[in-house]
Amino acid sequence: MKSFDLAEPATIEEAVALLDPEDKSVRAIAGGTALMLMMKTRLFQPTRLVSLRRLNGDLRGLRVNQDGGLRIGAMTSLAQLEYSHLVASTYPVLSRALGTLSNIRIRNVATLGGHLAHGDPHMDLPPILMTLGAKVSAVSPRGRRWVDICDLFTGYYETSLIKDELITSVEIAGQPPGVYCWYEKFTARSADDWPTVGVAVRYIVDSGVIRDPRVAVSAATERPMRSAAAEAALTNAPLAPHVLSKAADAAADELEPIADLHGTASYKREMVRVHVRRALEKAAQWRR
Amino acid sequence: MEQNHRRTIRFKLNGRTAITEIATHETLLEVLRRDFSLFGGRESCGQGLCGCCTAIVDGIAVSGCLYLAAFVDGAEVTTVEGLASGGKLHSIQESFIANCGFQCGFCTPGFILMTKELLERHPQPTTDEIRHYLSGNLCRCAAYPDIVRAVKAAAGEHNR
Ligand SMILES: Cc1cc2nc3c(=O)[nH]c(=O)nc-3n(C[C@H](O)[C@H](O)[C@H](O)COP(=O)(O)OP(=O)(O)OC[C@H]3O[C@@H](n4cnc5c(N)ncnc54)[C@H](O)[C@@H]3O)c2cc1C
Ligand code: FES
Ligand code: FES
Repeated sequence: MKSFDLAEPATIEEAVALLDPEDKSVRAIAGGTALMLMMKTRLFQPTRLVSLRRLNGDLRGLRVNQDGGLRIGAMTSLAQLEYSHLVASTYPVLSRALGTLSNIRIRNVATLGGHLAHGDPHMDLPPILMTLGAKVSAVSPRGRRWVDICDLFTGYYETSLIKDELITSVEIAGQPPGVYCWYEKFTARSADDWPTVGVAVRYIVDSGVIRDPRVAVSAATERPMRSAAAEAALTNAPLAPHVLSKAADAAADELEPIADLHGTASYKREMVRVHVRRALEKAAQWRR
Repeated sequence: MEQNHRRTIRFKLNGRTAITEIATHETLLEVLRRDFSLFGGRESCGQGLCGCCTAIVDGIAVSGCLYLAAFVDGAEVTTVEGLASGGKLHSIQESFIANCGFQCGFCTPGFILMTKELLERHPQPTTDEIRHYLSGNLCRCAAYPDIVRAVKAAAGEHNR
């Protein structure tokens, strides 16, 4: 690694002013777990890093919103979320997934903001947040805008954030009582590895019929994506094995998997089929 | 090297005030070894996977190989060398010795520091909790059964 200018601003205004919308070698650093790997392998050589560690306010803390959902500061560590009783009672699906995300030292340091801003398609939380419904607050010198989580990921390691925008917090929607949620993480090498395929699902069942289903897949495609075809196959259909299989087939047919270290494209397509079905089944067994 | 690429950091290291000059890109692990001759933390994978470089920063375990030294300015850092006090080993260290929780010892400082954090978060861990918590620490000698035994014994000690 090479040295760089390291700024440690105390306010969000100073922080965004230190970023540069034109210069790719200037970036924010939160926990640094993803950036350090890129810097060590020289995939990224910064001229300046703007550390967010001295920032407070909006970037910290966890609270319940009016709709019963949670507002989470971007600098909240993944371990803080893992050990939060509020998260466990509001979104058990998130707590369970956090326990399988990397190892505890990484979760101690990695932040929710960095997790989302990195745009790595293998991350575990984006598909879950895409099914729960969430929006991120993005602040720049021009003010604040809200970005729907489903519009955040635009490509392989690409997001819709402008280079001088910072995520300050994330708001996750409140869920109706009795919602069914599950995240199925499939790792092909070791249990604590990055996923080969990650599948998040969320749906409601009303008089035996599936309503408002959401299915999101990560790690298989160039960015985490919802499967409109799977969701259409589930909508207003009975909660029955053949319906879940049909939805899984629809997702496998619709999505375009890409190969990586964790599997070839055709393998991933089959794994999408298998794990969409499993996620839908397990959601029904687990309830919330 | 440009002036603002170097800086002086001040922090508490194993209970004592520490001051040193670093470059912005240097990791905590590099600085602990180079400037303070603390060799308990080792760089093995260099990617956050193995835990050989573990240090405790403000009460939480981090991978020293992925942590900027600049970020400990103002913090409290504990390494394995800081666990013993008054010439007496920490009860977790005693427990690893009594239960042979190692073979070559390369991974041991990391396991001991992680065990310290484990017992703070789960004072009476089940075997599954121990395995899960320590899953990010790798032992090339595969001393795992003895490590789990040592942690269990340390938990007994911890709760006394
Ligand atoms: C060994 C290892 C194993 C891992 N395994 C997994 C796994 O199994 N599953 C998984 O999901 N993840 C895994 N991860 C990834 C981990 O989740 C990310 O590294 C982490 O979440 C990134 O957070 P950070 O705070 O460290 O980000 P940083 O490294 O600080 O930043 C990452 C990116 O986000 C930008 N950024 C940071 N904060 C903000 C903000 N508030 N606003 C705008 N931009 C911002 C930075 O500029 C940078 O581009 C693993 C990481 C490691 C090192
Ligand atoms: S050397 Fe840091 S985790 Fe392996
Ligand atoms: S005791 Fe040799 S690596 Fe663990």
